Parts: sequence; structure tokens; C-alpha cells
Amino acid sequence: VTIEVVDPGPLASVQDPIGRPGWRRFGVPVGGAADAWSARLANRLAGNPDETALIEVTLGGASFRVDVAGMVAVAGGLAATIGGRPTPRGAGIRLTAGSVLRLEPSDGVRGYLAVNGGIAVETVMRSASTDLRSGFGGHEGRALRSGDRLAVGPASGTPARWTGTREAGPIRVVEGPHPSALAALVSGEWTVGAEADRAGVRLDGPVLSGSDAVASMGLPLGAIQVPPDGRPIVMLADRPVTGGYPVPACVIRADVGRVAQIRPGDAVRFEMVSPDEAAAEWRAAEDALDAVEPLGQMADDEELGWIGSHR
Amino acid sequence: VIRPFGESALLVEVEGPDRAQAIAAKIAARPIEGVVEVVPGLRSVLVEIEPGGSGVGLRDAIEARMATAGEHAPVGRERTVPVVYGGEHGPDLDAVAALCGLTPREVIEAHTGTGVRVLFGGFAPGFAYLGELPASLRVARLATPRVRTPAGSVAIADAMTGVYPAELPGGWRVIGRTPLAMFDPRRDPPAYLVAGDVVRFHEIDASEWEAHSVIAADW
Repeated sequence: VTIEVVDPGPLASVQDPIGRPGWRRFGVPVGGAADAWSARLANRLAGNPDETALIEVTLGGASFRVDVAGMVAVAGGLAATIGGRPTPRGAGIRLTAGSVLRLEPSDGVRGYLAVNGGIAVETVMRSASTDLRSGFGGHEGRALRSGDRLAVGPASGTPARWTGTREAGPIRVVEGPHPSALAALVSGEWTVGAEADRAGVRLDGPVLSGSDAVASMGLPLGAIQVPPDGRPIVMLADRPVTGGYPVPACVIRADVGRVAQIRPGDAVRFEMVSPDEAAAEWRAAEDALDAVEPLGQMADDEELGWIGSHR
Repeated sequence: VIRPFGESALLVEVEGPDRAQAIAAKIAARPIEGVVEVVPGLRSVLVEIEPGGSGVGLRDAIEARMATAGEHAPVGRERTVPVVYGGEHGPDLDAVAALCGLTPREVIEAHTGTGVRVLFGGFAPGFAYLGELPASLRVARLATPRVRTPAGSVAIADAMTGVYPAELPGGWRVIGRTPLAMFDPRRDPPAYLVAGDVVRFHEIDASEWEAHSVIAADW
């Protein structure tokens, strides 16, 4: 089975939900899917193990074709259509040979296209993820282009449907190691700025103060750095290994993927929680991910049969 | 001082990079259950656990390793990095000389004259923070960082020096360039310079550039 990139849209790349932890002392970012939670959901819907490699699509306008019939799934902030018709959200999709799946703009920034069997690329430093900045991993170390053909691994597992819900309230944060700007950060009204990518999201809003440099230190996922210009940056998957600016707060691990889905210009509000609450929210997000059930034969006939007949 | 850094990490603040490396090495030698990654920095060690992990006992486990880690980082290998100084390869050499009150030749001699150690890795794959530079060679970063610094650029800032492993934005002052690759994702370790290595810069002529292989023989 291969999947062909008909149109990658603004940016599409091969990622996995884990990235490549363990190499940061050599300067290598963790990387991986920017919204790992949605990537894992896409994998579960497609019948894959969580850590399977898939395609991360940015902003929509992307389309893909499979050469033979297969099971795929889309999760995250984009919607999927086949021949202009929407597909049911939160469920595996059976694609017939040659049919084209499009990912369209919806309520977020990134969509995850999982294919049953997974995208089969050679792992580099134990991960299938593309490091776009340094040019290794994934498919030839680069963003996908029209005409790329990606091999798919052997079919396995059972496609599923999801019945859970995802938290939609404020972005929760815990106190960081340099809390002087914490109150201003949490009380501020922010919008995601134009400078938003897989490494981080810059926020527009009140200018924060008290931003003397600190000694370069390792940065956890979700750390909110305040550089000298006073405009905070939420650090995401491709963040550099170290940073030298104060960190008044960290986005909780349950919400980092949600930050990666906020579109430039959209509002962001923060809410302080305790570390214990953060851990509880992580478990709640895991429970929501577990709300999947196998796609039965009924579902296949009722919801999915028509997809195959189209095109 | 050990303080929380997000819900699934602790930041161990220490006096300097040697102590940070020593602690990281001790944790590598005596792993702590549940710890997924340890990232030494200039004056800190980031210790991360799985999200949702309890972290119970983590602080005690780190303190136990700190108690026996000592002050010194493990000593690494000797590395020699060939550099073409000045001209198109080192566009800031003359400015650095002026700032330091030295001639460009004296800057080169100061940069090649002493071994520097890899203090920690960061910034980009294969980038090593090297130090300390002699006091005569300390300059502030560029007020406006370059959008692009070519791969192999050898640069200095404050008490540190380093080699850009790829074309990257950067605010350090570029005094030369090496033909050696600093990063290769297909090698293990993927970085040529790793913490503890002792690095000497060696001046070469631009005409010798091609004679130096990209991958160091002693990677």
C-alpha cells in the first residue's frame, strides 16, 4: 500500500506522537506531532498503536490518494472530505483504491492523517518524525511535496470510533521557575500572533516586564518563555533544547496540544492550576482518548459504505 | 536548589556546567525510575518524568545522586577543529579585534591558543557551548542577530565559543569557519563535540579547505 501526496497544502510532514526524546544533550529537539494527543487519537481510530508514524497537515488544503483500498482516520483541527463530501468525524474511514481524501480548514491548525499500518519510513535516531529545521527523519528529512509516495506498513489492528470529548476551556498553566511575570501572564488577554510554528507560538497582548536573561537551561514542553521584548512564547514540539529567558509558567501537558491548534489571531486565556490538578487533567485527557470502541460491521455498512462507492 | 519546572519536570539549579554535567552523568550511571530525559544546561539540570507520573521520591533520588556526583564533568576526548579565520569566512573578525583592542592576528592566536571544553549541548543539533574563552576575547553578542549564519561558522559571545552545525539564525560574532561537520543524524553520538571533550581550534589557509574531509576521522 502506498499513499500519494496529491497536494501537501501549506505544510505537511511525517511525524509520530513521541518524537525523539533522549538526544537533547546533543542539541537535538524532541519534535514529533505538535498535537500529540490528536495524533494518538488518529492512530487509534485507524487501528494503529499510539506511537505509529502519520502525516501532520497544517491549515488544510491538502489531499492524498491511496493506491489500494485501506483504512485511514483523521483527527485534530482539520476536517476530512472525499469528493467534496464530509466524512464522519471521530471514526475510521474506509478508502477505496484511488480515492482522494482532502483535509480542509476547520476549527484548528493541524490535522493528523493516520493510515492503518502506519507510514513506513526509516527511523532516524529511533523516530520516524521529520526534523524540518535540520532536515532529517520522516520522508527524506523534509516537508512533503506533491507527487511524494509514502509506503504504508502491513495492515493490523481494528479501526475505531471515538465517543469522547476534548477540554475546550482556558489553557491551564502551572507556575514556572521564574514567576515574577506570572500574575500579568495569567490575567492578560492574549491572541496567537503570526509567528506560530511547530517550535512555538508567540502571543500578542500586554507587554510583560522583568525579563532579564537567565542561564541557558533545558526547556520542557509547554514552557512559556518571556524574551526581552516582553512578548511570551509557548514552546512546542520543535522548541530548541535550551532557552535563556525567564519562564513564569508552563502550559500543563494535557493542554500543550490544544495550544498547537489555536489559529493565529484567535484568543488565548490562561488559568492557573496546581501540579496535582495538572496531573489530574492529564489523566482526564487520557481517559477521553480511551473512549474509543471498535467500528462494527453495522457502522461499516451504515456510515462508511457510501464513501467507498463515491469516485 | 531543586524546583518544579512544569508538572512533569524538576530543574536542579547548580553553580556551573561542570557540576551540571557531573549530576547528569551520575543519573545516567544510576538511573531513576520514571525519568525520561536529563538535560544539563549552563547552571542547571532539567530532569523530566513521564506526563502524569507522580514524581514521588524524585527529589530524594536526585539529591542522593547529587551527594555523590562530585564537581567535575567526565573528561572526554581531544578534538581539533580546523578553521579558516577572517575574510568571507569570518566577517566579524575585524570588529571583534577592534572591540577587544587586539589585532585580528592576536584574536586568532587567542582563539587557537587555549583548549576549550564542551560545557553543554543545546541551541541546535550538534551545537556545543565551548568555554571558557580567555578574558581578552570576551565580546557581547551582535545587537541584531543575523538571519542566516552559514554552517561551520565559528563564533564567539561572552565567555563562550561554538560552531554553527547548520545554517541558522544567530547573534554570536563569526570569526571563522570550519569545513568539519558537527552533526550527523546517522552516527551515534550524532554530535562530533560532546560534553567534556577538549577542543583546540587550528588555523588553516582557505586553500586547505578542500583537503579537510567533512567527517572527522576521529568521530
